[in-house]
Amino acid sequence: MTRTWWFPVVAGFAVFVLGWKLVVVVGGLQPYILPPPETVAGRFVGAWLDGTVWPHFQATMVEIVIGFVVGSVLALLVGYGLARSDLFERLASPYLVAAQAIPILVLAPLLVFWFGPGLLSKVVICALIVFFPVAIATMVGIRSVDARLLELGRSLRATRRQILTTLEIPAALPSIFGGLRVGVTLAVVGAIVGEWAGASKGLAVLINLARGSLFDTPLMFAALVTIALVGVALYLVIVGIERRLIGVR
Amino acid sequence: MTTPVSSGAITLDGVELSFPTRDGGSLPVLAGVDLAVPAGGIVALIGPNGCGKSTLLRVIAGLLSPSSGEARLDGVRITEPDPRIGLVFQEPRLLPWRSAADNITYPLELADWPAARRATRLTALIEMVDLDPAATTAHPSELSGGMRQRVALARALALEPEVLLLDEPFSALDALTRERFDLELLRLWDRAAPTIVLVTHSIAEAILVADRVVVLSPRPGRVVADITVDLPRPRTIADLDAAAVSRTALEIRSHLGDPLATDRLEAAS
Repeated sequence: MTRTWWFPVVAGFAVFVLGWKLVVVVGGLQPYILPPPETVAGRFVGAWLDGTVWPHFQATMVEIVIGFVVGSVLALLVGYGLARSDLFERLASPYLVAAQAIPILVLAPLLVFWFGPGLLSKVVICALIVFFPVAIATMVGIRSVDARLLELGRSLRATRRQILTTLEIPAALPSIFGGLRVGVTLAVVGAIVGEWAGASKGLAVLINLARGSLFDTPLMFAALVTIALVGVALYLVIVGIERRLIGVR
Repeated sequence: MTTPVSSGAITLDGVELSFPTRDGGSLPVLAGVDLAVPAGGIVALIGPNGCGKSTLLRVIAGLLSPSSGEARLDGVRITEPDPRIGLVFQEPRLLPWRSAADNITYPLELADWPAARRATRLTALIEMVDLDPAATTAHPSELSGGMRQRVALARALALEPEVLLLDEPFSALDALTRERFDLELLRLWDRAAPTIVLVTHSIAEAILVADRVVVLSPRPGRVVADITVDLPRPRTIADLDAAAVSRTALEIRSHLGDPLATDRLEAAS
């Protein structure tokens, strides 16, 4: 990698910010409609420093991480089952697809009603939304294991567990990580939607406060920027783990 | 030169095998194959495409069970893969996410060898198959075809098998590399004298390597000829020009159904 690998990233960001500023200036937009980037940046830094964002950020992060882990672990197990049992796949896949087809937005109020406005309902919503892409990616990955490698394993008298750990999992990893990348960004969406449906803390709650009672549009944008950064950061964490685990192929 | 061996004898007794077809019928692939390979012997299996050569090798490897008849290793029926039998496939069949070294020691890992013992064995194997030690940290995608097949050979030798089964192992390599591999195979045999069953399409390769060349009929496969190669060992590429070789080749060709070869064989005798 050259020393200037970051240059296109910075340049792209600069163009984005300039475009934003241009829309505000040319459109003559009031700050409560679309605040200019420097106002949002100032509010962002201010809200982080004076502790406005922190408790909401913390609550949302806990929901995302627990929901993502729970949803992913269940999806890995079910995805493996889908790949290895035709009967299970035929029984389960209609329900999985149907569950995925119902918008989480509609489901969220019901889940908050069932599981309360606290952490549990958010974890359930996150896990639910993460589940499908990870389960499908796992199934596809496990099925992609080269039958010739499985025959090699058999010829070397590999046990069921050895086949799983030395052949199936390594072969499925690229596909599984594809699912996890999608899943982790969806986990952010799940947490926000869950909070929207009813919560006392969280970045969505902060947005609602800023919009509804505080009329603080820059704060709302600062919260949106925080959510976006959380998504990008978690995505990069997954990519980092993927790079470490997969390496040269 | 050749160390005497007491084990590794393969016996095939009326091995029949059919594969189920999609319409519910069955496709006979092997129709009563009888074959005895003594311990330390080298037999080449040759035959037309689809005659069941690879299937027969899988029966010996314990990967397929015959519908009737049986395969035996030292008199004991083979029912499952056996660590005394090493297998080299047509393609290297390496795990793409493992380095060459980790591919070579894969069978040792599956057999729960401790790391220190694996490392010692790895050094010996690398030397045995003449692999560039610098290449052992590379992944299969970074290796040439020849190097990959060396890694596959080392992996098959990892557990010191008494029997080495090779399924057209060098067919993807160019002719010169292939001859070198054949000679290296003989050199390996000189050191440990495993029983070798080599499936091949190449008459020259069969003659260069084997004590006996067994010709299989078109599907369903059965043994139609068992020809002894009358060439002294150690053999070299130069031996392939000898008169005995062309006569053996003609004989093999005539059993493979080449009428011209049959005519010339009759004219010569």
